Amino acid sequence: MGIKELLSQYGDQYISALFTTWKLTFFAFAIAFVIGVIVTVMRISPVKPLRIFAEFYVQIFRNIPGASLLMVLVYALPYLDVLLSYFTCVLIAASLIPAAFCSEYLMAGINTIGTGQIEAARSLGLTFMQIIRRVVIPQALRSSVLPLTNLLVATMLTTALASQVPMNPRDLTGLVAHINTHAVGGVTAFLISALMYCATAVVIGQIGNRIDRKVRILR
Amino acid sequence: MRDKRTSVKDALFEPPGPKTQKIIWAVTALSLAALAALIVVVVRRFYETGQLDSKYWSIFTKWTTWKFLGKGLLGTLEAAVVAGIVTFAVGFILMVLRISGSIIASAVSTALIEFTRGVPTLLFIYFFFLVVPKFGVKLPAFWKICLPVSISACGVVAEVLRSGVNAVPKGQKEAAQSLGMMPHSVFLKVVFPQAFRFVVPALISELVIVVKDTTFAYVVNFPDLMQNAKVLISNYDALLSVYLVVAVIYIVINWLLNRASVAAAHRTGK
Repeated sequence: MGIKELLSQYGDQYISALFTTWKLTFFAFAIAFVIGVIVTVMRISPVKPLRIFAEFYVQIFRNIPGASLLMVLVYALPYLDVLLSYFTCVLIAASLIPAAFCSEYLMAGINTIGTGQIEAARSLGLTFMQIIRRVVIPQALRSSVLPLTNLLVATMLTTALASQVPMNPRDLTGLVAHINTHAVGGVTAFLISALMYCATAVVIGQIGNRIDRKVRILR
Repeated sequence: MRDKRTSVKDALFEPPGPKTQKIIWAVTALSLAALAALIVVVVRRFYETGQLDSKYWSIFTKWTTWKFLGKGLLGTLEAAVVAGIVTFAVGFILMVLRISGSIIASAVSTALIEFTRGVPTLLFIYFFFLVVPKFGVKLPAFWKICLPVSISACGVVAEVLRSGVNAVPKGQKEAAQSLGMMPHSVFLKVVFPQAFRFVVPALISELVIVVKDTTFAYVVNFPDLMQNAKVLISNYDALLSVYLVVAVIYIVINWLLNRASVAAAHRTGK
C-alpha cells in the first residue's frame, strides 16, 4: 500500500491516534509528577513509616515491567471486583511507573543543593515546610528540568502499552498493529507512526533544553 | 564532597526538640495506622473475593510450577543477555560514528540515535512481528524479540558511551598521541577502557530497561517468563496469583540489577 492510499484510508485514524497518544502522555505525566512530588516529600520527611513506604513504592514501580503492571491492572483487578476501563488501566500504568522515576530525579535534584544552604535557611529561622517550599523545591525543580524532559518522552513511550488492550480510539502503536493485521500497511504504516512519535519527542526535547538553559543554576 | 552523614535528606532536620518530637511521634503513629488500614483493606478485598483461597495459591507449592516458571525466567534472561550484547555492539558503533569527525557519519548516527530514542519498543516489536515476515525473512521468535529490544535501547547506550568518552580527561588522549600511538589504538587502548569504567553503572541500568522490554516477548510467542505465566494461567485458572508472583519475580531481578549498578558506581568512585 502506497503512502497516498494509506493516508486517504487511515489518515483520520492516524490523527486521532496521535491525539490519543498525546492525551495519554499529558495526563500520565501530570499524574506522575504529582505522585512523584508527594513520594519525594515522604522520602525526605522525618516520619519513618512514610519514608519506608515511599522507598518501597519507588523500588516496586521503577522495577516492574510496564507489561506486567498492565496485565495485573487489566486482567487481575477484576478478580478483586475492581473494574477499570482500558483507558484508565493504561493511564494508571503509564503514570505509576514514571512517578517512581520522577521521585528519583527529584531526589537527585535535592541532593545537589548542598547542606550549607539548608543550614543557612535554618539559622535564619525558617521552618521545615518553609525550607522545603522556598529553598529545596525551587532548586530541585530547576536542576531536574532535563531529567524531567526525558521522563516526559519516556512517559510517551510507556503509553504504547495502550496497544496491548482493545482501545477506541487506538493509540499510535495500536493503530499500526491494527492496520498491519487487517491490511498490508508495510513499512510506510510504521514510518508514519514512528515519525509522529519522534517529532513529538524532538519537540519535547527542544522545549526542555530551552527551559533548562533559562532556569539552570550554574554552580 | 558530601559524606554520608550530612546528606541533604538528613540535614533538613536538626535533632528535634521535645515539641517537634511529639509531633513526629503523632504523625508516625497516624501514618502507621493509615498504612495498616490500607493493608487491611487490600487483604479484605482479597478475602471477600475469594482470592486467598488455597486453590489459587497451591500451585506454587508444586515443583513443576516453579520449574516451568524457571524455564520462562531462563528464556527472559537469555533474551536479555543476547539483546544486551547486541545493544552494546550497535551502540558502540553508533557512538564511534557520532564522534568520528566525519560530518555525514555523525549526522547519520545522530539521526539514528534520535530515532531509536523517540520510538517505543512495542512499535519495533510489531515491525519485526508483522512486517519483516512479509519480506520473506523468517526469523525465529527469539530474534523477533531480541532485535527490536536491542534497536530501541542502542541509541541510549550510544549516548551513554559518548558521555563516558567525553568524561575522559583530554590529557590522556594527548599523552597517548605524543607516544606515537595510532589514532585507533589511542581510542581503543587508552580512551575507551577508561570511558567504559565511567559508564558501567549507567549500562547496568540500561540492562534493566532491556529486561523490562523483553516482557513483550508474548507478542511474538517467545517463551519468556511472561509468556509461560500466561500458559500457567490458562492451565490452572489462577490468574491473579500467577500475575502477582511473576510481577514480584521481575521486580526482584531488576532490583538486584539496580543494586549492582549502585555497587558499581561506588567502586568506580562516582
